[in-house]
This record gives sequence, C-alpha cells and structure tokens, in this order.
Amino acid sequence: MANSGIKVKDLRKYYGKVKAVDGISFEVEEGIIFGMLGPNGAGKTTTIETIVGLKKKDSGQITVFGYDIEKDKEQIKKIIGVQLQSPSVFPRLTVKEIIDLFGSLYPDPLESEEVIEKIGLEEKAITQVANLSGGQKHRLAVGLAVVSNGKVVFLDEPTTGLDPQARRQLWEVILGLKEAGKTVFLTTHYMDEAEKLCDKLLVIDHGMVIAKGSPKSLIRDNFNESAIEFTDPGFSDLEREELIAKDIAERHTYESEENHIIFYTDEVPDTIKNIIDFADSKGKSIDDIKVRHATLEDVFLKLTGRVIRE
Amino acid sequence: MKMFKAIFMANVKEYLRDKSALFWFLVFPLVFVFIFGWVFTGSSEPVFNIGVIVHSENEMTERVVDGIKSVDSFNTYVEKGNGEGELVALRNGQRSLVIEIPEVNSENISMTTAIEIPVYYDVSKQQTSQVLLSVVRQFFTEAERQIAGTPRIFNIEEKSITAERLTDFDYILPGILAMALMQLGLFGSIQFLTLREKKIIRGLGVTPLSRVTILGSEVLLRLILGLIQTVIILTVGSIFFDITIVNNIFKVFAIVMLGSITFISLGYMLISFVKTAEGGNGLIQVVQFPMMFLSGIFFPHEMMPDFIQPIVKALPLTYLGDALRTVITGLPAAYPLMTNVLVLGGWLLVTLIITIKFWRWD
Repeated sequence: MANSGIKVKDLRKYYGKVKAVDGISFEVEEGIIFGMLGPNGAGKTTTIETIVGLKKKDSGQITVFGYDIEKDKEQIKKIIGVQLQSPSVFPRLTVKEIIDLFGSLYPDPLESEEVIEKIGLEEKAITQVANLSGGQKHRLAVGLAVVSNGKVVFLDEPTTGLDPQARRQLWEVILGLKEAGKTVFLTTHYMDEAEKLCDKLLVIDHGMVIAKGSPKSLIRDNFNESAIEFTDPGFSDLEREELIAKDIAERHTYESEENHIIFYTDEVPDTIKNIIDFADSKGKSIDDIKVRHATLEDVFLKLTGRVIRE
Repeated sequence: MKMFKAIFMANVKEYLRDKSALFWFLVFPLVFVFIFGWVFTGSSEPVFNIGVIVHSENEMTERVVDGIKSVDSFNTYVEKGNGEGELVALRNGQRSLVIEIPEVNSENISMTTAIEIPVYYDVSKQQTSQVLLSVVRQFFTEAERQIAGTPRIFNIEEKSITAERLTDFDYILPGILAMALMQLGLFGSIQFLTLREKKIIRGLGVTPLSRVTILGSEVLLRLILGLIQTVIILTVGSIFFDITIVNNIFKVFAIVMLGSITFISLGYMLISFVKTAEGGNGLIQVVQFPMMFLSGIFFPHEMMPDFIQPIVKALPLTYLGDALRTVITGLPAAYPLMTNVLVLGGWLLVTLIITIKFWRWD
C-alpha cells in the first residue's frame, strides 16, 4: 500500500556545523517492528523527534501513513503514540490518572487498566508519578505511548536503565503490539534487543545510515565467520602487535576496556591453535577462550570500528 | 472539549495536591484578614495606663481621681505619697502618663493663683503624650468649670457622618482581596514555566492536545481560584469582622474577574522574559512586592510622598483595590468605577499584546 507505513527520504537536520542527521532514507512497512540502532549521538533521537513533529527538519521528506509530517501534523498526532527518552508528566497525578489523561486525548484509546497491566505497574496504579522509581517512570512512559492505540508506536530507547527482568517484560509488550497489528518504531543501543525484537534494522552512525536489513541478513552479509574471543593474558603492547602481525585471522579487534581480544575467522581450529602456541612461546597461558557466532555487536564493531556502548 | 476537560482536571488535581501552593492560596490571605481584622476592629479604642499621685485624701481629691477614673480609655493607678512607684512605672514604659495632684482643699481652691498640677510623660512617645495631654487638659478645664459654676456656652455633640458603620478594616479588606488576586494571577504563571522546564509541555506536544488548550485550562483554573478566594475572604470578613457588602455581589465578581485576568496576563507577560521557574519567581517577586505597598491597597495613597504619586497612579493594583473598595464597601473611592475598569482593561490589553509578541512555548 502506498499510504501505509513510514517513509523517510533524505532527511537532514543540522545544528550549526553539527550534522545530527545527514541524509537518512528508509521505509518502515506497516505491522513490523523497526529498529534504529546506533551509539549515543548517532542521530536516533533527532530522527524520531523529527518524525513525531517535535523538531523541524532542515530538508527531506517524511510521510506517516500517507500524511506529510508538516502539512498534516495534527492528523499524524491522532494515529501515533510516542514515548520520549526523558519521560515527564504531571508529578502529582497518579499512574492511572495520567494514563487516563493521555487516553482521553485520542479518538480510540485503550483502557487504562489494560495499559497498566501491560507495563506491570498494577501495584503502583494509585501512586503519584513523583514517587515512582526511574524504571517505573520509564515503563509509564511506554504506557503513555501505548494507550493511544494508534497505528504507530514510537519508542525512544524504551528499555534503557531497566533491570533485566523489566526489560524482558517490556519486550513482551512490544512483541504484543506487533501481534495487535501495530507498527513499532524503536531506537536502541542494545544489540540483543535489536536482534530479538526487530524485523528490520537501520544502523546509523554520525547521522548517516551505515547498514540496513533484518538482523539475520545484517549478520549474514557482514559475517560468514565465527568470532574467537579470549581475555588478554597480559601481553605487552609489543607482544600484542606481534600476535596481530602474524596474520592468523582475517580480522581482529581489541577491546581495551574489557581486555578482550577477538579474532574473526573461518578457520576456527587453526586459529585457536595459533593463538595458544603464541601465548605458550611467550610464557603466558590463556584460561578462557570461546568461539561464538557473530552478533549484531560484531556487525556494529565491523561497520564503525567502535563498540556501541561507551 | 473532552481534551480541555481532561487537561483541566489534571491541572486541578495537580494544584490541589501541591501543599505549598494551597498554603499560599488559602492561609496567607486569611492570615492577612485576621491580623488586620484584629488590629483595626473590635475593641478598637486603645487603653492607656494612667498613674495618679495624690497627696491628701479629702473629698476634693477623691472627686478629681474619680473623674479621671471615669474616662473610658484610661486604666487608672492611684498612689498616695511621693509617687516614687508611679514615676518608675512611667520610666519603664508601664504608664503612658502620670498626673500628680497636689494638696487641694476648699481653702486653697478659692485662692486666685492657679493650682499647679504636674503631668509627667515620656518625651519619646510624642504622639501618645500629646493626645493624652490634651485629654487631661480638657478634663481639668471641665472640672474647673464645674467647680467655678461657669455656665456652658458651647456644647459639642458627637455625630457620625457615615450611614454604614465603617471601620478602617472596611478600607483594608478590599485591599487584601486585591492583593490575593494579584498574587494568584502573577504567581499562577509560574506553573507554566515549571511545565515548560520539566518538558511536560514538550511531551504533550506529541499528543493531539494543543498547547493553547493547556494554557487555556491554566487560565480558567486561576479565574475559578480567584472566585473561590473572593468568596472565602468576603465570608470570613463578614462573619468575623462585620464587613457588609453594600453592592451587588455580581458586580463584585465582575470586578474580581477583570482584576484576575489582568494580573494573569501581567504574570504571563513577565514570564515571557525568563527561562526558568526560579527566574520567573524572582522577577514576579520584584514586581509584586513594591506594588503591594505602593498601590494604596492598605492605606490611602495620598499619605505617600509626592514623588511616588505618579508610580502609584500607574499601578494596576491601585485601580483594582479602588474598584473593589467601591463595589464591596461603598467607601468613597479615589476614582470613578469606570476609570478603574478602563485602566485595568488597558493594562490587560497592553500586557496581552506584549505577551503574545514575546511568548515562547519551549
């Protein structure tokens, strides 16, 4: 359908010399979970805020279900639900009251009880927003996006700052939205989240698209090899360079912060043997070495040369 | 309409749960009402402690002392002898005045030389002393006339000229109401700054709710609070302090509405020049505090020095106070009601235009 989903064409948004978004194009088909992946400052929030009408674009074209974001701003607002990164609502209203308030702003909202159950805040329904914990506020913000019962739900880093259990619970909510036929547009910098939830991914960095496709195809296209990862047993800088110079694998990375060395290769047994032999010759022993399939994290590392989480 | 109702109710709940706002709204003006009420009404006649030193105990002295005692506002203490005790009490500020009555008897009265009656007072309390001295002087003149048997030529008959029983408090109560409405209007705008600062306005920007609706619901809430405030202050005034509303209550409400909306507009104009709620609070304090004292809501502005008069005549609070005084107590006003209404309307218009010009949503 021509008038379904979200279409973004050559979107640009500059702040002075800073190119927050620098020519991004993509399409979000109706009914999918679309994920925008990238490190902090990549331009994710700017993109989402431009689509929902909080920021003005410098150039480009955006339509949401056939509506132009500038001409038909009011129409779009009725068919979307938005969760912003810094959720802020009236602090003295209770969870239920604030969800009811937001619900009353839309033509066909969900019942507040249903929303509260989804976001797992049943016990906090009559608690004032000011007394919620950070994670609870975050879930409430997601609830406020869901209550609109619109065609598209925008979630800007919905699980940031949540504990693992709350994250999983929220993932269920997001998958439930898809089942209910909603289109979900989310941003994240969690690779596992993107891998688990998204049907389609857009990897951006420095305001530009660096890859797009399904999580599987992204991994397949960028990696047909496995990753061999081990903890640096205490190589000196010189020794490390020597190991890398031996050209034992196609590519390698070194995460200095976590002290991990990763080699990517097709020849798993040979590479492992080479690594262990090298360590032996230097009088070091490698205690943990593991082989795994490449993940989105590796894709990101390959595409940008950086780890996603600072 | 559904949206307006929803956001309005949210505002109401938000307001009612803000304990400090409620305090300023309810308690603060009432504190003013009660303090001024007690000071300016009730047993308003001040009582003075008067010391009397007597040297003899004959009939003549007794009659004089009884005469002094019979003065309503005197609380009389009598001491016989050299009067050491009473003079110490005067020095300590426990007496306003001490009268010494020398030996008098029917013999020395008839003598041609006048009897010296020393009156001691505290020079530092000029005003009280002057008033008391004239009372004492009048008292002895009257006593002398009676003793000498001189016929009265003039007799002063005291008659009140106001039809209603008006006290100073009748002047002040409309002033308190004007002050409350001013504060309600000015400080009400802070809520918008808070919503803007906390990005609540921005957050609501992604919903179909328009920002004008949000602001409109704020203004309506303030107007309703203004009416509630009026009812509270007038009720307390009439129950506890005998204030009578001489005019039509709807006329009172009409002026209250005009005053409220003018100060709401002035408040929004002020905050369009600041970024944070804190800044807004400071700016509004700077404006409202001098206005409270320069506008003549608590005392007639003629009492202020000439060079301040132009300021007094420019302040909207002066006219709101004057208008409320006219419609509530019917006290003689400084300006015709129409002038008050026009000046307030003018302020409303000007502040509204400036607000629209400089307004920032985020």
